[in-house]
Amino acid sequence: MFRKSVLPARFKHWLQPWQAVDWWLFAAPVALTILGGIMIRSVELNAGWADWWRHWITGSVGLVLALLIARWRYDQLLQWKWIIYGITNASLLLVMFVGREELGAQRWINIFGFNVQPSEFAKLGMIITIAALLHERSASTIPMMVKVLVIAAVPWVLVFLEPNLGTSLVFGSITIGMLYWGNANPGWLLLLVSPVISAILFNVLLPIWGIGIFIIALWVAFIGWTAWKTLPWKTYGTLVPVVINLIAGGLGRVLWQYVLKDYQKQRITMFMNPDQDPLGGGYHLIQSRIAIGAGEFWGRGLYKGTQTQLNFIPEQHTDFIFTAIGEELGFIGSVAVLLTFLLICFRLLIIAQNAKDDFGSLLAIGVFSMIVFQVVVNVGMTINLSPVTGIPLPWLSFGNAALLMNFLAIGLVESVSNFRQRLKF
Amino acid sequence: MGSPSYPPRSKRFRRLAAVVKSLRQMPIPQAKSTYRRLLLVWAILVTGSVLLTLNLVRLQVVQSPDLLKQARSQQMTYLRPFIPRRPIVDHNGNMLAIDHPVYTLYAHPNAFKLPKPAVAEKLAPILGQSAADINRKLDSAESGIRLEYSLAENAAARIRDLQLDGLDLNQQQQRLYPQQNLTADVVGYVDVDQVGQAGVEYSHKNLLERSVKSVRLSRTGMGAVMPDQVPGGFLHIDDLQLQLTIDSRVQRAAQIAVQQQVKKYAAKRGVVLVMDVQDGSLRALVGDPSYDPNEYYKAKLEQFKNWALTDLYEPGSTFKPLNVAIALESGAVKPDQVFNDEGEIYIDGWPIQNFDYSYVGGRGPISVTQILEHSSNVGMVHIVQQMKPDVYYSWLQKIGLGQITGSDFPFEAAGQLKDHKTFVESPVDIATTAFGQGFSLTAIQLLQLHGILASGGKLLTPHVVQGLYDSSGQPYWQPQQSTPKQIFSLTTTQTVLKMMEAVVLRGSGKGAQVPGYRIGGKTGTAQKASSGGGYQANAKITSFVGIFPIEAPRYVVVAVIDEPKGEDAFGSTVAAPIVKSVIETLITIDKIPPSQPMTIPTPTPSL
Repeated sequence: MFRKSVLPARFKHWLQPWQAVDWWLFAAPVALTILGGIMIRSVELNAGWADWWRHWITGSVGLVLALLIARWRYDQLLQWKWIIYGITNASLLLVMFVGREELGAQRWINIFGFNVQPSEFAKLGMIITIAALLHERSASTIPMMVKVLVIAAVPWVLVFLEPNLGTSLVFGSITIGMLYWGNANPGWLLLLVSPVISAILFNVLLPIWGIGIFIIALWVAFIGWTAWKTLPWKTYGTLVPVVINLIAGGLGRVLWQYVLKDYQKQRITMFMNPDQDPLGGGYHLIQSRIAIGAGEFWGRGLYKGTQTQLNFIPEQHTDFIFTAIGEELGFIGSVAVLLTFLLICFRLLIIAQNAKDDFGSLLAIGVFSMIVFQVVVNVGMTINLSPVTGIPLPWLSFGNAALLMNFLAIGLVESVSNFRQRLKF
Repeated sequence: MGSPSYPPRSKRFRRLAAVVKSLRQMPIPQAKSTYRRLLLVWAILVTGSVLLTLNLVRLQVVQSPDLLKQARSQQMTYLRPFIPRRPIVDHNGNMLAIDHPVYTLYAHPNAFKLPKPAVAEKLAPILGQSAADINRKLDSAESGIRLEYSLAENAAARIRDLQLDGLDLNQQQQRLYPQQNLTADVVGYVDVDQVGQAGVEYSHKNLLERSVKSVRLSRTGMGAVMPDQVPGGFLHIDDLQLQLTIDSRVQRAAQIAVQQQVKKYAAKRGVVLVMDVQDGSLRALVGDPSYDPNEYYKAKLEQFKNWALTDLYEPGSTFKPLNVAIALESGAVKPDQVFNDEGEIYIDGWPIQNFDYSYVGGRGPISVTQILEHSSNVGMVHIVQQMKPDVYYSWLQKIGLGQITGSDFPFEAAGQLKDHKTFVESPVDIATTAFGQGFSLTAIQLLQLHGILASGGKLLTPHVVQGLYDSSGQPYWQPQQSTPKQIFSLTTTQTVLKMMEAVVLRGSGKGAQVPGYRIGGKTGTAQKASSGGGYQANAKITSFVGIFPIEAPRYVVVAVIDEPKGEDAFGSTVAAPIVKSVIETLITIDKIPPSQPMTIPTPTPSL
């Protein structure tokens, strides 16, 4: 690492407690946070409020906390796992009763004048809990996997009921990513998500008949084959997933055709063709697409993006901050941001590889899953690749809880990096 | 589980235990090396990155010109602020034309909170329509029913005060002409789009329309228009108004006089023009019949044209004083020269006679003044014959025959004069020109020609626009009047004016006499040329030109009445009283003192 050669000896003493941290992993989020503050300022310039600096304040607090956590042994958390799990669920329960409602969902609780969003911290709580569980026993057996799933289901349901679909999806991706890293059979994970895929496939392909039926049959056969190969008791093991998939497919079809209202369906499919309702559900998607496209290769220039400055994009400083980057900083700026995220992911994987124990490795992978999923879905949403779900872009979107939590997560992974060598006594 | 008959409880339990055991003892799947797991993670990561980047390329490189265009089109809005036309005022500041807001009332019954009859009941007294009528209209559609247009401000305010849902008042500007038909021939009118269609409204639209550029503005996502690109003074409206030289009082007096005569003689139409010979400005221009520019759409098409400028006619005897002036100026004739009036002569075999030849016969030797007094055609022919045809023709051109006057009215027609060759080689044409036939001009040109005599020889340009003035009366812009051409010498014009005074004192112009004032004039009763060639049998056009006061001429008044009916319809009887009436008004308005002892028969003093 560069720190050894670049830093003068005098600082070595001060940096002693952090001698094995990954400085790239600090630098990249800090860079993103600084850029986030600038872009939020740009968005707020003509929107009538100016609290963008809070992003930097929260970011600074987060960085300090991350540095403190980094010099504190992460493996002590192992014994705290049930307490953390308990606090996570308790806070999610609390928000259901005393939470403040905004945009039709109860997500915030007020603590000493600060609006805290427990679902953000629940992500981290869940990563720690699952990592601790899988550290004790890997997910290579079905009971262990079921156990992890059941434990993860409690906060997942609580978040889903808020309702906060975005965060519950993040929970799902964290769980699957960590199970995969925790030696779960990929076939089982496929079987786990297969009913959802079946529901979608049935809806999309069944109306086509001929070829559609054929593809569905292929898919169900594939599920059966996967079950046959990966599950213990062959007959039931194959039959049950196939039946479940068929039922899921049928239910999905019924749900789509008879239960869901048009506007609910639209919300799900709108991202594929936002022009079907340019002033309603498609407005957000069209405006963000226009903003990013208008940025062209080099961007319109900071504070010069007309879509951004004329407030054409609702919620632009939070979930749609990437549109401001796309418009004002262009393709170059967008790709630079994506590369920065890629760098973070790369460092997280390195740490996951080099961790001294499974707990540390799983912590890094949990954070990795969370960030990859959020970035892909958030950016995908702004460029019309995924539906609008309300997932913020880490370190860039305005939102104190998320920003703080992302830094805490980085601190935790840095601790994994910092204590990767066994202590020498 | 799947079996049709349930085995005993203990058996079931044992089987379940066996399943759990098999789960526990299941051979752990070949622990994939971390390397292979990592490979899949990397694959997902790379796929995600490539997918996002490719889509960014699609949006920001491939589709970006199109998306940029979309952005521009939704962010730009073009604003052309509505700014009222400048008002038009007369010489004294009386309003002739002004914009005022009017309202169109729309009803949308589907948004009513009250039942339709209740709404109709409330609107009825304000709209001046019956509640039943309104109710019928309200039943005609669900929304967008136009109940009334051009509602006045106070009616609109009363409707607003009702605070009823489902009513919509749309403001627009309407041009109001408070004097109605009084100045229609001068001012003209604007159509429904506020575009000038006649008169000054048409010819001076550049002065009347305040210059407004449409401004390109940014529009926010909420639809608000951003003020940052609005140029300074965007909403500043100047207080300029277009002032005319017209005097409404003279105008009204002239209108009453001409209406009276047109009615009395069942004439087709009439026109009166009053020019101030100090500068050529018109104090009045009245046509009858006229129209109300507020309701221009109700008028007949031919009423829109100002025929004092557009229609040509043969001036007849009113042109004689000009021939006299030409003859005097060219030196061909002396003022005291005497000519022999045979009553009838033949030119190229064509008979030319005086209008009164049938009952007066030849008058014998008469002076130039007497020729004018009696309006002798034969005498005039003799006068004109004193000049070489070539010289005479060049004088006719010099006074502007065959051309336009260059007034500031639109659609002015040029007079007609035969071409040089035809004229010079045809003694008949010269002879008819001597008494004002064989060529044609407009009423305003006749006014201009007599303006030469009244102004001491200057060819003035008749005009009606005084300039743009601000609200405190300070001039902002005034039309540049070119220095008028000197046509005749002062001596010549004074000589002719004296002769014209004699016409009013002793000759055919007696009808224009105003006791105590010196007035010059000339009657005219011309045959109307028919469209098929030759002259119409019964159609004539009578006119009178008055110049006053003779000692220091200030005004030229021209009255032309087209096709008056009756045996006694002559310039002296039809047109002269109009001029007299107008002159009396001018005397009152300008407070001109009488210059001569009045010849009022005084009662015999009792000593």
